[in-house]
Amino acid sequence: MTRRIACGLLALALLGAAGAARADHAGAHRRRGGVQAATGEAVYRQICQGCHMPDGRGAVGAGRYPAFAGDPTLVSASYVAATVLLGRRDMPSFAERAEADGEAFFGRTTLTDAQVAAVVNYVRTHFGNHYPDAIGEAEVRALRQGSP
Amino acid sequence: MEAGGGCGLTRRQLLRMIGASAGAAAMYQAMSGLGLAAESSFRGPPSLQGAPRGASVLVLGAGLAGMVAAYELRRAGYEVQLLEYNGRAGGRNWSLRGGDRYAELGGAAQHCRFAAGQYFNPGPWRLPYHHHGILHYCRVLGVRLEAFVQTNYNAYLHNTEAYGGKPQRFRAVKADYQGHVAELLAKAAQGGALDGRLTREDQERLLESLRRWGALDRNYAYAAGRASSERRGYARDPGGGASARPAFSQPLRLEDLLGSRLWENLAEGDAYEMQTPLFQPVGGMGAIGEAFARELGPLIRYHAKVVEIRQDERGVTAWYEDARRPGGARRSARADWCVCTIPLSVLGQIPMNVGAAMAEAIAAVPYAAAVKIGLQFKRRFWEQDEQIYGGITYTDLPIGTIGYPSSGYHDGGKAVLLGAYAWGTDAMELTAMAPEERVRQAVAQGARIHPQYPREFDNGVAVAWHRAPFTLGCFALWSEEARAKHYDDLCAIDGRIVLAGEHASYLPAWQEGAVTSALDAIGRLHRRAAAGGAA
Repeated sequence: MTRRIACGLLALALLGAAGAARADHAGAHRRRGGVQAATGEAVYRQICQGCHMPDGRGAVGAGRYPAFAGDPTLVSASYVAATVLLGRRDMPSFAERAEADGEAFFGRTTLTDAQVAAVVNYVRTHFGNHYPDAIGEAEVRALRQGSP
Repeated sequence: MEAGGGCGLTRRQLLRMIGASAGAAAMYQAMSGLGLAAESSFRGPPSLQGAPRGASVLVLGAGLAGMVAAYELRRAGYEVQLLEYNGRAGGRNWSLRGGDRYAELGGAAQHCRFAAGQYFNPGPWRLPYHHHGILHYCRVLGVRLEAFVQTNYNAYLHNTEAYGGKPQRFRAVKADYQGHVAELLAKAAQGGALDGRLTREDQERLLESLRRWGALDRNYAYAAGRASSERRGYARDPGGGASARPAFSQPLRLEDLLGSRLWENLAEGDAYEMQTPLFQPVGGMGAIGEAFARELGPLIRYHAKVVEIRQDERGVTAWYEDARRPGGARRSARADWCVCTIPLSVLGQIPMNVGAAMAEAIAAVPYAAAVKIGLQFKRRFWEQDEQIYGGITYTDLPIGTIGYPSSGYHDGGKAVLLGAYAWGTDAMELTAMAPEERVRQAVAQGARIHPQYPREFDNGVAVAWHRAPFTLGCFALWSEEARAKHYDDLCAIDGRIVLAGEHASYLPAWQEGAVTSALDAIGRLHRRAAAGGAA
């Protein structure tokens, strides 16, 4: 048996000793963080409305989720896209990222550049918004690659 | 083998390899195993002596961090008051029981219809034996504990794409994985692959240990027989009397096991925080918060939504509204000092005059998504039909987890289990559904593991943490970069304000993080107060 095989065995043994755990979490989870949704509306229904609500009006409790209707920051598609990519305060970042960071231990959720563009365009043309300019996948990619 | 240099891999390379093969969660656990993740810093209850005469502290949030702070500061002689958004104490320390009503953000309200004595913990549900701080307060407050079953060898590991979607008993997967690995390593040793790494004497010891560890036969093979059946269970168990002869069972093939990926969750119970014994409060995790609330009594003002926090040279004022009447009259509470335990997801939206460093730290941390669903069934079919008493089944389905109750074994009547513990993308997708749809999903998915589900299901409650009005998320999701940049600033006292909570700890999501964070914060605050504000 070669050194390489023995090495693989060591990795297997370590794996057994390591196991999968996450803080007070328990459960198998091998789906990558990707989202199966082709259109902006599908992305919104599948992910975004969890916080921003099905009607896009947000909600108020001890803190609040902002409403999309009448939100002046929506005037800039790039700003909205950057918010989705980088996150903002309690909102997580949805950018695709190569390296695993601390957040990855708890399961990062990522959207492709095309999905980001689609959902930004969806939000900016729904919930009382009628912005005529759309953002494209290439612009989102440029934003993402230019971001820290 | 050289210490720390196995296969010439650096620790970092090893972690990356584990991360790639077993998922990021395993990597986190590997880091814990290598001493990179922190343990509880609890070193006994604080002895805060010499509180300045008449000194007062305003505590924001009556979760565990806030109530630990209030409890100890009062003991030290401070005048204490707490403001709490909810109409109950405990925060994420919480149990839902029959008769409870829970309205989430967006307005959907659920009425819990569990039978008497049944409960479900939407938040934390287990207490590791080494979480000394939270266990200390359980003892002091008279919160009775019982064993929480984490690892149940008779529960299942389940992958929709392995073994035709049929769940496998944890016992068999563990025994077979371990047995096959032991056999491979024994063969490697016998083939000379370890020569030069281990002396002949140590190789013989290794072989002997592998035989025991892996349940190998005399030829160092893992095969059907008494040794393996004593681990993985028999095809027919030994019994008594005339028809008692046991039949050995057939191990799963290594290739099938590896392909099944069921090994991903094999070592859950080996993690430092999941090692047996674990505990749970009798009657629900919420018993801890309820005990604190009894202890602190009228010090807690409920339904108080903090809308602004201002400090000056002499004290701190918090303005608050009645949470039940949004936009109503503002009232204020004032004290010399403030311990603020409001989750960062909420605190980041409250005007507060602290320095740029703390403000940036508060804004730097997103909150993790998690969903838990409690399902009540007409009977304990998991015990009656499948001999599963407590413990956890892991699945690759979005529900992630089925947690069986660790109490009430053999009771007749209805019983509640944890029908989902989802996180990450699965949790986000469940959060985006209406509560009743989440429950429907949990029943439909769970039925792929327990076919009894549809027939026996009674009712359910689903808590999606991003919809929780008092937290807007489950727990602080620190990245390593954010922690390196902001954690110390988050914890540092800013004038007369100090923050505490699981978000100000290295134990994210664990109650021990809240407890130890609060004790550390009030220790530092007390030293500053005792020094006349100068320390």
